[in-house]
Amino acid sequence: MKSIFLAALLGLAFFAVSCQKTDDPDAFNPADKNAVTLEFDHRVGGQRLAFNTTYKNGSGEEFTVTMLNYFVSNVSLTKDDGTVVKFPDRYFLLRLADPKTLNLTLPDVPAGNYKQVTFSVGVDSAKSVSSADALKGVLDPALWADPMYWSWNSGYIFWRFEGTSPAIPASATGARIFNLHVGGFGGRTAPTPNNLRTITLPVGTELAKVRNNIAPAVHLLVDIAKFFDGPTKISLAKTNQVHAPVAAVPLANNIATLFSIDHVHNDKE
Amino acid sequence: MKMAPTLARQTHQGFRNLGSLALALGLLGACANPGGSEPDPQPAAEPLFQVPAHFPAPVYDLSKNPLTKEGILLGRTLFYDGLLSRDGTIACGECHRQDFAFTHHTHDVSHGIGDRMGTRNAPALQNLAWGSTFFHDGGVTDLDLLPLAPIENPVEMDEKIGNVLEKLRKSPKYPALFKAAYGRAANGSEEITTPKFLKALSQFMVTLVSANSRYDRYRRGEVQLDADEVAGLTVFKAKCATCHAGELFTDGSFRNNGIGPGVFGDLGRERVTEQYADRYKFQVPSLRNVSVSRPYMHDGRLPTLDAVLDHYARGVQDSPTLDPLLKQGGRLGIPLTNAERKQLLAFLNTLNDSKFLTNPAFAEPTN
Repeated sequence: MKSIFLAALLGLAFFAVSCQKTDDPDAFNPADKNAVTLEFDHRVGGQRLAFNTTYKNGSGEEFTVTMLNYFVSNVSLTKDDGTVVKFPDRYFLLRLADPKTLNLTLPDVPAGNYKQVTFSVGVDSAKSVSSADALKGVLDPALWADPMYWSWNSGYIFWRFEGTSPAIPASATGARIFNLHVGGFGGRTAPTPNNLRTITLPVGTELAKVRNNIAPAVHLLVDIAKFFDGPTKISLAKTNQVHAPVAAVPLANNIATLFSIDHVHNDKE
Repeated sequence: MKMAPTLARQTHQGFRNLGSLALALGLLGACANPGGSEPDPQPAAEPLFQVPAHFPAPVYDLSKNPLTKEGILLGRTLFYDGLLSRDGTIACGECHRQDFAFTHHTHDVSHGIGDRMGTRNAPALQNLAWGSTFFHDGGVTDLDLLPLAPIENPVEMDEKIGNVLEKLRKSPKYPALFKAAYGRAANGSEEITTPKFLKALSQFMVTLVSANSRYDRYRRGEVQLDADEVAGLTVFKAKCATCHAGELFTDGSFRNNGIGPGVFGDLGRERVTEQYADRYKFQVPSLRNVSVSRPYMHDGRLPTLDAVLDHYARGVQDSPTLDPLLKQGGRLGIPLTNAERKQLLAFLNTLNDSKFLTNPAFAEPTN
């Protein structure tokens, strides 16, 4: 009986050791690749952001949202050893009206543990001044449901946020509409503000672990409350029409504060 | 005919048919017999684009959009097609008429769709390959991106580029014209795309070269100018050519010429740069074909060249951003005697290029 017990114990110990060796969750083949998905989840404070819903900003103004579109580009992921994996020339147009555009897939990410996500809101200067051949994919004006370009002052609209608020003085037609358009890549023939904002976010204690069988999903929160109540407080009564780079600077500074990473899913496939 | 080396290089890239290619290579004086084949016996066609010998190098990068006969024809067909506008009524050629140097004949500001009126005078379309900023305020810096502005402007063509492409795809003639111009992409696609559409329009616009006025022929030693015209050229060089500089008759800069805000209060270049220093500044226009491109100024306020000279002689209004050249020695404007005005007008008329204004290659195609 004693010997059986000992054998069982040994067997268990052996099993434990071998298990550690073959199934070490931190072991991976560096040649493996998998996708990483960035999921953008839009909120207003504690509430989910949706159309036809009334929210209140820090100035006590009620508002509803009719459109939120913005570009995300120059995404990069940083490994725990500091290595940076870049995704250049990949542009995403996020549209609240089209939920599938809110999940950004980065293909062929090398296996590793990722601690940081970096991206820009907008379209970088180099792309903004490149030739007509760049007008393809999400940068093709022909494919937009809502224009994302200032054709009279060539340049992409980085962020297009529209809605209504009773706090806005009525227009001649009785409308109380806000159109807050952020753009401005720095100018080609004359310097203008560069409203591209680059955002770097720590992933948190649970790193994004890319493995042969794990395609991590990074869940980001985008808090629209901070758009109004960021470094510059935006009151819709005063600021409701922005269509040029200078007036958009404080909006861009607020946009830089909206994003955080809530959690990461490292689910096995 | 003699081509400058730059020209030969550029035209070379643009040639499609072997005859033209052989011509270009022949003129280069090198390897006129590519691949050992017999030279094409077809008579050589006119080059698609030439840099006039007295012009600087073009700004537009033809290597990124090599001109072809088919590409130019496509661009020209699009230029004259009202399909580009929301209701089919307004073509580019509506506000840009060839016989008026591609301006909106006698209209102070342009009338677009539904007879909606803008706030600016349609600028002349000529020598666009040498432009680095477009429109009166320079808001567009790439010729390829220029058409997006009038197409989307609610008082001009009021259309979305996506709708334009859809209409082109469904039209009976355009798929074939695009295919002729661009063939099939490496991935097998014959699709009508935004870059193809814009670059075809550029191809046509780039060909709109005006360099055959009496002034140009005088410059090339082919004709003489009369005494008034020669005297006018001297006055021009002394009093106008700092801004209306070089063979393009513009330095491309933005200046406040003291015209004053006018009824529209147009801020000019400030709209683009959002800098107070650019208030009421507009791009110096070329003076080529100037007497047919009336009326004048960004809002078409001045009906005749006489009125323009009046303005510079005694109508200049002071303001903080007024160009310093118009306020020398504390005096506003440019002093001009009656004799000088007569001579200047005589000279300005030598800048009319009747070959450009009547060239059938620039007219509405019959296809």
